[in-house]
Amino acid sequence: MHLFLVGISHRTATVELRERVDFQTRGLASALGALRARGIAREAVVLSTCNRSEMYGVADDPASARLAAVQFLSEYHGVDRSEREPHIYSSADGDVARHLFRVSAGLDSLVVGEPQILGQVKEAHGAATLAQTSGPLLHRLFHSSFGVGKRVRSETGLGAGAVSISFAAVSLAKKIFGELKGRSVLVIGAGEMGKLTALHMKSQGVQQVTIVSRTMANAVRTAEAIGGASAAPWHEMTTLLGTVDIVISATGAASPILTKAQIEAVMRPRRNRPLFVIDIALPRDVEAAAGEIEQVFLYNIDDLQATVQENLARRASEVQRAEAIVTEEVEKFGAWMRSRNAIPIVVALRQRFDAVRRAELDRLAAGLPPETRERVDDITRLVLEKLLLTPTEQLKQIGDPEVVSAYAETLTRLFALSTPPAETESARPEPPARSDRRVEPFVRPQKR
Amino acid sequence: MNFVPLALYSAALIAYVWHFTARHPAVGRAATTLLVFGALAHTFVVGMQTMEVGHIPVTNAASAISTFVWLLALAYLYTEMTTDERAMGAFILPLAVGLQSIPAFKPVIEQRAEVLQGPLFGVHVSALLFAYASFALAGVIGVTYVLLFKEIKAKHLGFFYARMPSLQVLDTMNYRAIVIGWVFLTVGRLAGFVLAGNSPSYDPRLQAMSLQDPKIFVALVCWAIYSFEAFAARALGWGGRRSAYLSALGFAIVLLNFVPVSYFLTNSHNF
Repeated sequence: MHLFLVGISHRTATVELRERVDFQTRGLASALGALRARGIAREAVVLSTCNRSEMYGVADDPASARLAAVQFLSEYHGVDRSEREPHIYSSADGDVARHLFRVSAGLDSLVVGEPQILGQVKEAHGAATLAQTSGPLLHRLFHSSFGVGKRVRSETGLGAGAVSISFAAVSLAKKIFGELKGRSVLVIGAGEMGKLTALHMKSQGVQQVTIVSRTMANAVRTAEAIGGASAAPWHEMTTLLGTVDIVISATGAASPILTKAQIEAVMRPRRNRPLFVIDIALPRDVEAAAGEIEQVFLYNIDDLQATVQENLARRASEVQRAEAIVTEEVEKFGAWMRSRNAIPIVVALRQRFDAVRRAELDRLAAGLPPETRERVDDITRLVLEKLLLTPTEQLKQIGDPEVVSAYAETLTRLFALSTPPAETESARPEPPARSDRRVEPFVRPQKR
Repeated sequence: MNFVPLALYSAALIAYVWHFTARHPAVGRAATTLLVFGALAHTFVVGMQTMEVGHIPVTNAASAISTFVWLLALAYLYTEMTTDERAMGAFILPLAVGLQSIPAFKPVIEQRAEVLQGPLFGVHVSALLFAYASFALAGVIGVTYVLLFKEIKAKHLGFFYARMPSLQVLDTMNYRAIVIGWVFLTVGRLAGFVLAGNSPSYDPRLQAMSLQDPKIFVALVCWAIYSFEAFAARALGWGGRRSAYLSALGFAIVLLNFVPVSYFLTNSHNF
């Protein structure tokens, strides 16, 4: 039983090609259904985001399964095979686990450490569980990957710090004002950048957004585009400066529209309440000296960009720690996978012992009343489980498949076992490691 | 007996500093646990002393410091548990450890002077110690506010930016601690005033209770500073960094009055 992976991502393909092989368009359920109909894999999960389309599967022969999956990718999306084949990557077994763990940790993301991917991986697994295409192997693999994602986020700084201009502005605002709920924002200029930053602020709970522009009609249009914002005429700008908490300035003016003196004048009526001024215009809208005023926090586009760069560098320095966690978890998963090599022989051994037990039970306990027979059945089963516990654990701990097969051969000869067919093993639940069942002491039924 | 809380506070200090730099959640939990055990041990010490002498051990500087550290630890733990914010521990614990070293290494046997009998004395000292604990918290919060403020203003978002709560949260916590501290300071001072007026005047220390005594003078300066900060500063646009500086300055004066002035300069409060 082997894991395999076939996929295409931002590392190997352009956005045009990624769009054409996106599984989200027709829904994950449809893709999973089509995969099952083709019988490519015993288990399958499809992960589809704007940066990647990947199929994770379990098959007896991973090489042919990978070929079939590549073929499926072409046919399902109607893309010519020769066109997208150079962009497809595939892997098997341990490499699949490493890849998925890196994906969940955000190490393979376009913006390293971004948090959304973990939710998307969970969604992919959820869809496969719903479509009943995920089995014990992929279930374990994906749950391990959720754990990796959480560990990397809590134990490293891979996801820390804002890595886009608007996120940087929002996180700075939060560091100054705490929660943004109930705060008010003044946007100067009706351009795209100002609108985007204001939208971002609004999504964080900002209560009031006001747009001022030299052309009132533009201000109204931008306010409508933001939704729930209001527009004000240009001459009200100074009055508004006295009441708002955050100013986003993004006009196309050739010289500063806000001077130090203007801002100083409004700070007195504000009783020096903090004012966060984000100047994302080029050339700058706000006189640099305004940043010297007590309780005025002035950030221009370069300052925000520098913050983003610092955060990216900090994230890059955390990559090694995150990779170490991934390696540790891949080893754990590998150990679990190896322990599965022993499952056929364990199952055969248990079946053989159980068959003997049942035969003897039928022979010796035939004349007993049903209640007593049930007790005897329970006790003998428990004895069997206890006897087989140590050999089961010992066999599962052997990592080397060759040693496992040597043991299997010996056990087969000693106990005249018949190894169960391979296809049943993955679906079969593992024998319990330790039985919690308790059997009441045997009480001979009283004769009436 | 004061050694056990000192050892636990020192261990908690190491854990808080470690947590502040490495930001490992398990270390943070360990720090809080150590501090809780330190405060419990300290409660036991204060309780034992209270049972021994029949009142809270506050009549000499060393025992008053020990009781103050105990209140500070409790006040900090309350703040940490209500705000879920551990960063401040790395700043509060050095103060607790430093001050607790005094009663631990230089214990003074608690003896209650005759003039210190009666319930008003208990109100006077307990209220003042609680006020000092509040001001200690406000002072430390003020220092951290300034550190974070400077980072944001200078656009070097680094060490404190990643570890501190927002300026607004720090400012609110600072203000709350100042107002609570001011109420207890005022109650404590009034109780002291009434106590001095009603006590028999043959004790030379009571005769020294005047504005010329350094302890009483500095105490009044403190009261003036905290009154300004609690009621006038924000109305005059002195919120934020200026308030934070005032809190730090106020607590520096409290500390000065509490330790060196109490030990070496005062004629009125050397019980």
